[in-house]
Amino acid sequence: MKNILIGLAGTAVDPDVVRMVASFAKAEKARIVGVHVIEVRWNLALDAVLEKELEAGEHLLSAAEAIARSEGITLETEILQAREAAAALVDEARSRSYDLIVVGMPYRRRLGRVYVGRTVSGVFERAPCAVLAYRQEAPA
Amino acid sequence: MSGPRDDDAPSLEQRESRSGKLAGDRYVRIVRPKEFRRESGHFVATEDAIAPTDDAGRFWRRVRRTLLGRPISSESEVSERVSKKTGLAILASDNISSSAYATEEAMRVLALAGSAALALTMPIALGVVAVLAIVVLSESRVIRAYPNGGGSYIVARENLGTLAGLAAAAALLIDYVLTVAVSSAAGIAALSSFVPWLHDHRALAAISLVGLLMIGNLRGVREAGLLFALPTYAYVGSLGLLITVGLARVLSGDVPVAPSPPVPFEDHGTMALTTLLVLRAFASGSVGLTGSEAVANGVPNFKPPEPRNAVITLLLMGGLFSTIFLGITYLATTIGVQPDHGELETVNSMLTRAVFGPGTPLYYLVQITTAVILLLAANTGFTGFPRLASILANDRFMPRQFAIRGDRLAFSFGIVVLAVTAAVVLWAFRGSVTALIPLYTLGVFVAFTLSQSGLVRRWWRLRNRGWRLSILINAIGAAVTGTVLVVVAVTKFEGGAWMVLVVMPLIVSLLLRIHRHYRSVADALVLTDLSRELPELGPPVVVVPIARLDRAAVRAMAFARSISPHVRAVHISYDEEGAAQFRQRWDRWGGGAQVKLDVIESPFRSLRQPLLKYIERIDETDQRAITVVITEFVPRSWWEFVLHSQTALRLKAALLFRPNTIVVDVPYHFEEAARETVPAK
Repeated sequence: MKNILIGLAGTAVDPDVVRMVASFAKAEKARIVGVHVIEVRWNLALDAVLEKELEAGEHLLSAAEAIARSEGITLETEILQAREAAAALVDEARSRSYDLIVVGMPYRRRLGRVYVGRTVSGVFERAPCAVLAYRQEAPA
Repeated sequence: MSGPRDDDAPSLEQRESRSGKLAGDRYVRIVRPKEFRRESGHFVATEDAIAPTDDAGRFWRRVRRTLLGRPISSESEVSERVSKKTGLAILASDNISSSAYATEEAMRVLALAGSAALALTMPIALGVVAVLAIVVLSESRVIRAYPNGGGSYIVARENLGTLAGLAAAAALLIDYVLTVAVSSAAGIAALSSFVPWLHDHRALAAISLVGLLMIGNLRGVREAGLLFALPTYAYVGSLGLLITVGLARVLSGDVPVAPSPPVPFEDHGTMALTTLLVLRAFASGSVGLTGSEAVANGVPNFKPPEPRNAVITLLLMGGLFSTIFLGITYLATTIGVQPDHGELETVNSMLTRAVFGPGTPLYYLVQITTAVILLLAANTGFTGFPRLASILANDRFMPRQFAIRGDRLAFSFGIVVLAVTAAVVLWAFRGSVTALIPLYTLGVFVAFTLSQSGLVRRWWRLRNRGWRLSILINAIGAAVTGTVLVVVAVTKFEGGAWMVLVVMPLIVSLLLRIHRHYRSVADALVLTDLSRELPELGPPVVVVPIARLDRAAVRAMAFARSISPHVRAVHISYDEEGAAQFRQRWDRWGGGAQVKLDVIESPFRSLRQPLLKYIERIDETDQRAITVVITEFVPRSWWEFVLHSQTALRLKAALLFRPNTIVVDVPYHFEEAARETVPAK
């Protein structure tokens, strides 16, 4: 696994995902890229300048970079704008030949079941490479 | 990032449209520069933005990083603050270290009246400690009143007026310079007690030490603290041991025998024991009060809660100084140690020899820790001067450079200026402590007196809770420090204090002149009406001086034409033949018809002067600002610069101070020239 893409959505699970990737990617000296996807509403142009969202994205990527630094790895970062995060992550992984996509799932329940979310399930279904999903542990 | 958008304007962020695998799965990749990140509606420059791009820059950065460490961002300022432990080492080392020589300074004056007069050393020491207690109490009020770091300058300025504030500031600036000079000279003197060859090179050694302290301080406040913490605590520990063992021996009846000084004073003295002599001894002993203002000035250096930590540090400082000073004085007078007239051995050294025995490990421990703390006590100046200078610069009384924090959040310019000034003083006084001492302490008492008086006025004006007690404390403080100021000024006047009294008003007047300049600049530049839109300007008159008709000149003229249709090229030729040749070539050139050309023959072979006169005459014919577009060939390496005449540079320098003139530099880089020469494949 030399090229790893981490999907970062700014949820509580992001730090755990970065630490987990660091634990196995450090020895491999893998290139790790944290990608945040801004989902653009249909009533806006795809390349619209969404300053608030961009700033929030920058902020969460900076936080992830800091965690990566403390774990002794370098995290490159990227921001994408798309209608759907899962499709953008998969297409980005394909165009840049990533070996692994890592996504995090905050622990959520809906209708009595653990809710996986459309981004995680979308990546699972369509990714051309290996996918690793990290689910936050259930609250005690 | 707000305001009118111009879609053609270059942006820091690029947007690349990408196609997904499925039709309709398009997405946009936002390519962000690593040199900038977005934050709170603006861009923030990252560490990559300050990274050099050429080899020389990279080399310089490596040197800086080795010496000073990695740059620290402004956000990390709080983590750079110091705890009480480190604060005591950084801000109080000057005051605590003066306990090493305060006793001796008082004794040296009293010894002039004979050995019997040395009995007055202890009462004088008690007087100094009493003054210190009042100063500490008063300074704790300063910290409470000005939790953002007042210092004498702010207190005096706010309560007594600008002139009083500047007087306090000037006094402190002088005193900080002298703190660095005296402490480093004293440290070298302590070292030369057991490394005699150092005595002949003491000025150079002291200047080298100042250089080391400068580098230490440029690394940042916290790191400087870590550097100074160990010596300060080692000194306190070793002197504590000396006093404890000395007292135990005295109380148990095993009184140590005082060694004879190498060059003793006359036993019966050379002067009468007058009140003036006692006051002089007190003034010399009060050298121990210096440095006690540093804590109040450096409140913002402390970790939160800053005022509380600063007050505790101030009390600890006062307690430690008093204990060591009184302990040394008591033991020295009880045992009968006398100062050395030849300054070959210190009282401290003789006392340690008496208590621990000559050449014992404990003797060397005390001497070495004393030497090291004296060497490092100069650091108080490095903490105080740059901060005070930055406050003065923010108030526009000192050049703006003093307010700028360097890579490591330290006020680098102030640190360097202090080091250079202290080095000059050390060189001028040949690194002699005795020669420097009379200049010392005067400034600090001017500042004390002004700040204490300022606080009296403040409490009287505000009359908030506890104002009566505060006013009493500060009034006593002002009276006591004022009295000491007069005593120090009178008794040390002939010895050199007059220099300080002359320099102080000069500095105040300089600060006022600087302020006047900044105020006039601000008045000239201020936007009085923010509702007014951008003024409409017509295209300017553009003059393009041309030496040769080449690619660089063509590019400059093309640029000139892009900003105005009124462009005149001007060529200066040294002879008629050259002028004719240039004209012929111009006429053959395709662009010659689009730009008017004036050719000037300069038979006196001067290029710059006729060109400046030409610009002047053109300017007289038109009210609009004249724009001079200068073409400049930029060689590949720095050394290739010397192969070119640098006419453009000299012309830019000549036009810099010319009113109503805009100078535009159109550089033409060697790489571009080489690229354009290679035919396209």
